Amino acid sequence: MTKSNIAIAVGACVLGIVLLALPSILTVPYFLHLTILSLILVIVAQGQNLVQGYTGYVSIAQGGFMGIGAYCSALLSVKSGLPVWLSLPLAPIVCSILALAVGYPTLRVKGHYFAIVTLAYNMVIFIVLLNFTSLTGGEAGIPNIPCMENLRLPWGEISFTTRTGYYYLVLVVAAAVTIFCALVVHSRIGRVMIAIRQNEALAEAVGVATWRFKLFSFVASASLAGLAGALYAHFTRFINPTPFGVDQSLNAILAVILGGSGTLAGPVVGAFTVIFLPEYLRIAETYRLIAYGLILVLTTIFMPRGIVRIASQIARWRPKVSTRQ
Amino acid sequence: MGGAMIIEVAQQIFNGIVIGSVYVLIALGLTVIFGIFGIAHFAHGSVAMFGGYLTFYLTQRFGLSLFPGMAIAMPIGALLGILIERLAYRPVRDDPHINAFIIALGLTMLIEGADLLLFGADQVVIPSSYRSVINIAGLAMVELRIYVVLTTCALIAAMTVLLSSTRTGKAVRAVAQNRSAAILMGVDVEWVSMVVFAISSALGIAAGALIGALFAVAPGVGEGLVVKGFAVLILGGLGSIPGAIVGGIVLGVSETLAAGFISSAYKDGIAFLVMILVLLFRPEGLLGKR
Repeated sequence: MTKSNIAIAVGACVLGIVLLALPSILTVPYFLHLTILSLILVIVAQGQNLVQGYTGYVSIAQGGFMGIGAYCSALLSVKSGLPVWLSLPLAPIVCSILALAVGYPTLRVKGHYFAIVTLAYNMVIFIVLLNFTSLTGGEAGIPNIPCMENLRLPWGEISFTTRTGYYYLVLVVAAAVTIFCALVVHSRIGRVMIAIRQNEALAEAVGVATWRFKLFSFVASASLAGLAGALYAHFTRFINPTPFGVDQSLNAILAVILGGSGTLAGPVVGAFTVIFLPEYLRIAETYRLIAYGLILVLTTIFMPRGIVRIASQIARWRPKVSTRQ
Repeated sequence: MGGAMIIEVAQQIFNGIVIGSVYVLIALGLTVIFGIFGIAHFAHGSVAMFGGYLTFYLTQRFGLSLFPGMAIAMPIGALLGILIERLAYRPVRDDPHINAFIIALGLTMLIEGADLLLFGADQVVIPSSYRSVINIAGLAMVELRIYVVLTTCALIAAMTVLLSSTRTGKAVRAVAQNRSAAILMGVDVEWVSMVVFAISSALGIAAGALIGALFAVAPGVGEGLVVKGFAVLILGGLGSIPGAIVGGIVLGVSETLAAGFISSAYKDGIAFLVMILVLLFRPEGLLGKR
């Protein structure tokens, strides 16, 4: 094991312990609330990173897919009385079927075209959520969404109606999603995705069916967004279309860029930054947009490789010792 | 019965041309920037909204009427465009295009936020006195709407003259055709970039002012506007000026027809669906060559 691997392992252990103990460390419930929202954004951002950071296709539809996941799980549990443990996993499945259907034709277009079409998808989804009142309740939304049923385990019962219970649930899901992404990225699929980002024509020329891998990353990102949306719905217990507009998709992009696109830790760092930074800066809603925009522009100009890569560069930096006597 | 139907359709088509001409103005700015830099200037919609608010402010503060207010707002918008090019896009000129697009997203938030800060979150309508209705064969045309179409025609004509008959216009076209060859021929690319962003933003400002007079300016309108602008570009083919004009009118008319005869709640959705379909089945645009 090299020195840097040990450092990473130690860092991961410390982070794990901190995350497990977090509900007892944080005395302000609001911070736990924000942490849960950050973890939900981590799930979305990991998906965004697959399609944007690794495959190189900027999808601006994550907010819309979150909405579909949220409404899907909420409606199934409210109107059909399905247990949340059943409706929750259905959300990413529905999203992936939908993404499969729209993704195949969409991925024929590249670059800006792709970004604009996915943006249009997000707007169409938003318009439907807002206007299909008989199903979605329109602007008034869906109130009284049930929380997960208690989980009976050999050593006791876990309730998810408390913030602490929900925190552990979201933590487990976010960790599982990150591990899933790590496995994908380090497999052949991940290497092909990077090849597509770097030179799609070349990848195709050497006989890779690139469309399969592009479709995979698009569908994976959509279903992760759907899962995150469902988790959001059962956490806030009330949803309306507002949080599922283009702004949410931009948040996911911001998290990926800020953290470091094409890295596994990037979306995690980015998601927490996006949620906590405005709280930390204590800025009003008006300045929030300006600050976000400014940060996005400055990051892209001055550190396009993101926080994570900058941090690892700093960690690896050694003063240059001249070998010449 | 049949006559009433025809008049209804004609009325919707007229309204469609009015809205479409605003889309044309937005799309022209986008298409010129795309043609020359390959940048999807996503912040263009919020620039237009800035124009709407600025014109409203000028009419309220100095008692100007709509068109003089717009005429003063346009050079200010041109200045904003030059700033955007200098400060935001130029540093990432040689980076992958995805970076410029992300810059554009950041600029969108930045300008939306600045709009909120400077002008507040209220929905405003720019007052105008052109409210008389002209009736031709049962077709009701509000004076303002006719002026909107005429203004658009005048601006298109001015831009065409600028691009086709002036030395600067020649330089712009040269850079659009072949950037490196233009540089080798001694074309000042920095100057061309400035001019292009100035023209495009001034057109965007005009579009925002007209939207403000026709309907209203409100936070969040810009986003829908720029996506429609891109829809027009996709209908007409990216980078094409005639395509932008035809595409804008097509989008405006199909939107009002959809609103009048299908569903007004879903009219924006229908516009986006048309765009998605064109993109998927005719990605070179309606006027493009196969």
